[in-house]
Amino acid sequence: MSWLDTATGILASALAAMTPLLLAAAGGLFTELAGMLNIALEGLMLAGAFFGFAAASATGSLSLGILAGALASSAIAWLYGSATLRLKANAFITGLAANIFAPSITAVLSASWFGTKSVVALPIPEPARIFQKSFGKLPLLGGVLFSQHSLSYLSWILAAGAALLLYRSVLGTRIRATGARAEAVAAAGFKPDSYKLAAIVLSGFFCGIAGASLSLPLGAYVPNMSSGRGWIALVAIYLGNRRPGRTALACFIFALAESFSNYAQGQFGIPSEFILAIPFAVTLVALSLGTSVKSE
Amino acid sequence: MNKRALGDRGNSLVFTLLAALFSSCLLLLFFSESFLDSFALFFINPLTNRYYLGNMIAFMVPLIVAGLGISFAFESHNFNLGGEGQIYAGSFAAVLAALALEEKPVLMIWIVSFAAAAAAGGLIGALSGILKRRLAVDELISSFLVSSIVVLLVDFCITGPFQDPSSNFQATKAIPPAATLPKLLPPSSLSTGIFAALLVSFIGKFILARTRFGFELRLCGANKDFARYAGIDEGLYALVPMLLSGALHGLAGALMVFGSYGRMLRGFSSGVGWSAIAVALIARNNPIALLPAAAFYAYLDAGSKSVMMGAGVSPEMVGIIQAVIFLFITATRLSFFRLPGSSLRSALQDRAADRRKP
Repeated sequence: MSWLDTATGILASALAAMTPLLLAAAGGLFTELAGMLNIALEGLMLAGAFFGFAAASATGSLSLGILAGALASSAIAWLYGSATLRLKANAFITGLAANIFAPSITAVLSASWFGTKSVVALPIPEPARIFQKSFGKLPLLGGVLFSQHSLSYLSWILAAGAALLLYRSVLGTRIRATGARAEAVAAAGFKPDSYKLAAIVLSGFFCGIAGASLSLPLGAYVPNMSSGRGWIALVAIYLGNRRPGRTALACFIFALAESFSNYAQGQFGIPSEFILAIPFAVTLVALSLGTSVKSE
Repeated sequence: MNKRALGDRGNSLVFTLLAALFSSCLLLLFFSESFLDSFALFFINPLTNRYYLGNMIAFMVPLIVAGLGISFAFESHNFNLGGEGQIYAGSFAAVLAALALEEKPVLMIWIVSFAAAAAAGGLIGALSGILKRRLAVDELISSFLVSSIVVLLVDFCITGPFQDPSSNFQATKAIPPAATLPKLLPPSSLSTGIFAALLVSFIGKFILARTRFGFELRLCGANKDFARYAGIDEGLYALVPMLLSGALHGLAGALMVFGSYGRMLRGFSSGVGWSAIAVALIARNNPIALLPAAAFYAYLDAGSKSVMMGAGVSPEMVGIIQAVIFLFITATRLSFFRLPGSSLRSALQDRAADRRKP
């Protein structure tokens, strides 16, 4: 039965690894559907991880931590979005600015608040595994599904909420219309730029929670702990053809690859550099295959 | 492009530089104990202290050479974001070549090492060009991904098979001392590499402005459809500029090793690739303008290093300043806050911009 335990173990950690990816991809979907290239997901996640952790350790409350991460990240997203839209700057370069700003400001603040620029580990409450006690003993998939911590379930609810917001609300419809035909939105008497800005701030909100879902379960903030996940979320959106369901599936596949490589590292003693390279390599291969399929 | 737009671009440059200086002051005000002391350390010390001045000019070397690489890519509308990996791989290739040729004449070491560096960087850059041509993978994303992988692989080599067993650093063996470039301003790390960088930027200017290749490259960047109708092989200009760009990044890395470091230290060039992008953007891809742009950037960097040593401010400050530069440098309009009447003016500007489009 040991291979079965291994398989369910990998699956369970894949679901945990999917949490930040799913949230970041949900955020990125807003900007993608609004017709913008948002490479700032990475930096926004990192800001969420840091401010979420700092607030959780200061208040002792996980919920306040999540909220702080989401708000801090939304604020940076607003700044980045305003520069892009109001100043008509190149979205890629301003996105780069956000990605450089986040690790710098967190390092400076980390040095001044916690006295270190490396790992900050402080006692904060652990996210509860809310279904573990009642359903965690179920065999196979039951154990996998119900052994997650509360942030994972939150991410599923939020991802579904993002899809509903995009496809079943007035705001979401206008955001998507802006991406499809900005002139039509303008002709109907609305300002496309306002909806683009709303999409960017929403993406910041979701990425902030995504970042908090990295640092809070770990009970620590690690510099650059987003480690490429923002980029992977972006690629998941491309692979999912900008559709919520398929994007979620792509997130799951990337998470499975991540958890499998973690397992392989422990099992076969593969150097950590190779393990760290896997998400980038998988992304590159997926991108090459994805675009070649699309162009056929 | 009309006069108005040109004026805006000039204003935006001045505005960006002012914003960078202003945010530096603001950061000093917030994160240092004595504002005046750190102000002097930041703005004056790099110019009066021999050590900081030398290091500042030494830092201009990779910025100019890699910045030229970025200019070649951006001018042809290829977005090379793999500079980090290309610099790192280039310097690694140069060190390997120098270590293999230890006993050979210095000139031969130089030629082979610099060629190896350019080849390594060029191949990595060309890979993204090939992916773009064959599989329509956006080079902007692929170059970043490839570079991230390359950095990790080189890290593995430095700390694994090629680590210097006699050293506590995560580093390779030192290259033969005779092969390092002569120092100009000891004890700083400034070397004769700066002359190489100046030469490279002038050659770059000549190629871009005065040759058929440069003309066609810029045409492809300015208007791809027009270039195609004019009979230019645009596929070629998706590949060659990326190759050249990568090669220049590799060269920049080799100049850092031969000029300043003398060996490969883990992560020694981290951030130089992104800085080179900032420099090329400030210089608006003009190879000659790279010199003052690199000087300005290196000045801010030297200032933040000096203030870090003297007043204990984090070196990440320079990252924040860099972010400020990136935030404003491509702005084509300068009304961040809505002034009365500005929305009408911007609407008119938008309409004028639309009319300018092909």
